[in-house]
Amino acid sequence: MNIIFALIPLSLILVALALWAFFWGVNHAQFDDLDTPALIPLSDDSAPPPLPTDAPKP
Amino acid sequence: MGACFHCGESVPEGVSFVASVAGQRHPVCCLGCAAAAEWISSLGLQDYYRLRDTPAARASAVVDYSAWERPQLQRMYVHHRADGSAEVSLLLEGIRCAACSWLLERALTPMAGVREVAVNVPGKRVRIVWQPGQIALQAVLGAVAQLGYVPHPLNRESLDDVAGREQRTALKRLVVAGLGMMQAMMFAIILYAGSLEGIEPAARDFFRWIGLLVTLPVIAYSAQPFFAGAMRELRARRPGMDTPVALALALVFIASAIETLRGGAHVYFDSASMFVFLLLGGRFLEMRARHNSADVVDALARLQPAIAERRTSDGRLESVGVHELEIGDKVVVADGAIVPADGELTSVGCRVDESLLSGESKPLLRRQGERLVAGSVLLDGPAEIRVERVGSDTTLSAIVRLVGRAQQQRPRWTRYGDRAASFFVSALLLAASCTAAIWLFIDPSRAFASSLSVLVVACPCAFALAVPAALARAVAVLAQRGVLVLTSNAIENLVRVGHFVFDKTGTLTQRQLELESIRTFTEVGEQQCLDLAARLEAGSTHPIAAALRAAANPSPEGIALDIGSVRGCGVQADIERRRYRLGTPAFATPGLPDDGSVVLACEGRLLARFTLREALRSDAAALVSALQAEGASIQILSGDSPDRVASVAARLGVADFAARLNPEQKLAHLAAQRRAGKLVAVIGDGVNDAPALAGADLAVAIGSGADLAQSSADIVLAGDRLGGLVEARQIAVSTLRIMRQNLLWSFVYNALCIPLAAAGWVPPWLAAIGMSLSSIAVIANSLRIGRGRARAPVSVTDAPNVLKAVTA
Repeated sequence: MNIIFALIPLSLILVALALWAFFWGVNHAQFDDLDTPALIPLSDDSAPPPLPTDAPKP
Repeated sequence: MGACFHCGESVPEGVSFVASVAGQRHPVCCLGCAAAAEWISSLGLQDYYRLRDTPAARASAVVDYSAWERPQLQRMYVHHRADGSAEVSLLLEGIRCAACSWLLERALTPMAGVREVAVNVPGKRVRIVWQPGQIALQAVLGAVAQLGYVPHPLNRESLDDVAGREQRTALKRLVVAGLGMMQAMMFAIILYAGSLEGIEPAARDFFRWIGLLVTLPVIAYSAQPFFAGAMRELRARRPGMDTPVALALALVFIASAIETLRGGAHVYFDSASMFVFLLLGGRFLEMRARHNSADVVDALARLQPAIAERRTSDGRLESVGVHELEIGDKVVVADGAIVPADGELTSVGCRVDESLLSGESKPLLRRQGERLVAGSVLLDGPAEIRVERVGSDTTLSAIVRLVGRAQQQRPRWTRYGDRAASFFVSALLLAASCTAAIWLFIDPSRAFASSLSVLVVACPCAFALAVPAALARAVAVLAQRGVLVLTSNAIENLVRVGHFVFDKTGTLTQRQLELESIRTFTEVGEQQCLDLAARLEAGSTHPIAAALRAAANPSPEGIALDIGSVRGCGVQADIERRRYRLGTPAFATPGLPDDGSVVLACEGRLLARFTLREALRSDAAALVSALQAEGASIQILSGDSPDRVASVAARLGVADFAARLNPEQKLAHLAAQRRAGKLVAVIGDGVNDAPALAGADLAVAIGSGADLAQSSADIVLAGDRLGGLVEARQIAVSTLRIMRQNLLWSFVYNALCIPLAAAGWVPPWLAAIGMSLSSIAVIANSLRIGRGRARAPVSVTDAPNVLKAVTA
């Protein structure tokens, strides 16, 4: 039973680690846009077609 | 040498600034503190100095706003109005409730030179109109900062940044509260089980301390907005939503901490963290909805590029910031680029896409000398324009401003709602104290839990959100469909209006003509006559020419030579060595009486007579029949001649019309209808119907581009689509229905739950769930507005555009 006095602080340390990882993610813009990433796979073109220009093509 | 009255820092040697507060003179350390102290005192808020427990931040630490006096910056953010006043939209950090709006309005309106202050709490925006000669923008911004809000004049970058930062912070707070809640509940279950099965006091205390540990970040970090809000409400002496929340949280946490210390009967760490989590969850949803409503404005504002290619005097190109452009500059717009400012096209014709501005989905042809509008996309460039309007004077800025203004005008009944909420909170605090007092007599051990439940269960969030949540959603949904709602009561009036008055020219009809009939007089056939006429009119931009060309074959054979036009009469030219004339009857064949038709003649011999009529807007007939089907009466009032009005009315199936009316007569017609007890809507094209629009209960303007900016309408149909009005009416009906549902729900909820909680039947954790669910129900209900109907063909936020923006 005494093991619980070691395991609970350990679990709290894990929670703190998880929070730190989450804060890192939020601060690095991982959660800023939750809507558009879901739409990206639906578009066929990964990049928009190049716009026609009057410049001579090489 | 002493402490500064305002900020508490020591006053340096040799400094003798003095602030007079409530008639007394106090030493202060700097001019900034002197101004802040005197200003707060002049507002009659000097009690702040008695109530506060920590000194204010040193006022000189406030950002210097003098840079906003630079004309280059003001042009980006300040709109100068025709009457000499200026207008700016600010995004404010730190606004949370109606009390903030009250404080801002109270504090800013009395300032000399400030004309109008309109606060939009859900949008965290304030629109300020001031007189530039009497007060400087920097003084206004400084005053806002002194109240404790951080003002950001609205532009693209600052808006994005603030919304993003707010969202990140809110997400962190929510997750900390969620994790804390899970942990606290886990240990609470151990404690509950322990109290049933028997637990060693040492183990029980260990779990209580762990509970305290995991709840601490929830209270100290996640719940911080509630405490900050409550402090602000306390300073403003106007209890709002945050006061009971903060009070309940502080009570629960402090009581539980004391119980933990002395090994008492109950701890409530699980209730506290759950309360914070659920409240933050509701606020998070509300924030998402609010950011979504701001998206339309954002999307429009984002249309304006940041950099333009300017041609210097020696012909080179230089990249300059768009805000540096001056009127008269020559700017080159590349193929596929966005036009940076309103200007006249100086290069040859090009096609532009104005779909995001006006909803017009077809590419538009612009000829040399015509105007390009900032925000439109050039389809076949490059093109060169001479800048005519820059910064906040552009059409794009005008549209953004119109939408923003619409979102900021709070209807009268929201104000009643605010006042009611403030009254409700006071009553609630009283009820909680009464509950505590009564239970102290009956059973002191239950007094705390019961009064706590009353406080938590009846938090007036649902009550205060009921109307604004529905309105914000409705305005956003309508804006996506090209219907801009500009005044506060427009949505309500749109439902109640029973009589629709249409202007004819430019509203029901387009500014184009179409061919009604041809009569030929020789062996030359109808189509041949049309082709001849089209050849004669080949280069003309006149509406008659356009109508004839539209009716003729796409590319008639043969070329007209020696085309000459006679002003006000018609054109003449040689085709296959014959002299043709097209125009008024008298011009084409001398001696023929004028009957309004257009006549084609060859060498003085009458060939054909064309009768032209105005082209109806494609959706005019559908709109009229839809409104008639809903039981509304339709009337056409026009300044045009009776036969033309009658013709349009007959084609639309409208029996009630009047022609050749001047503005006063139109107003008299409106007044007669209103006397008959009907609410009257006037639909006009905004500029030329201004008096009639002003005299209506609901003014609807249709138009695009520059016309929009000048309209004084309640509703603008931005896409040049009349059909938007029918959709708008349906959405308005559902908005009012949902508003009523929201108010009814929050009233029933509170009326049921407060007595139950006071009787002690609702434990604090259940109260927390009930309160949060009531707010979430209101928000979720409001989000139903505009669901399940087809979207307008061009919407600013539709998926393809989002994709384009993401993948670009």
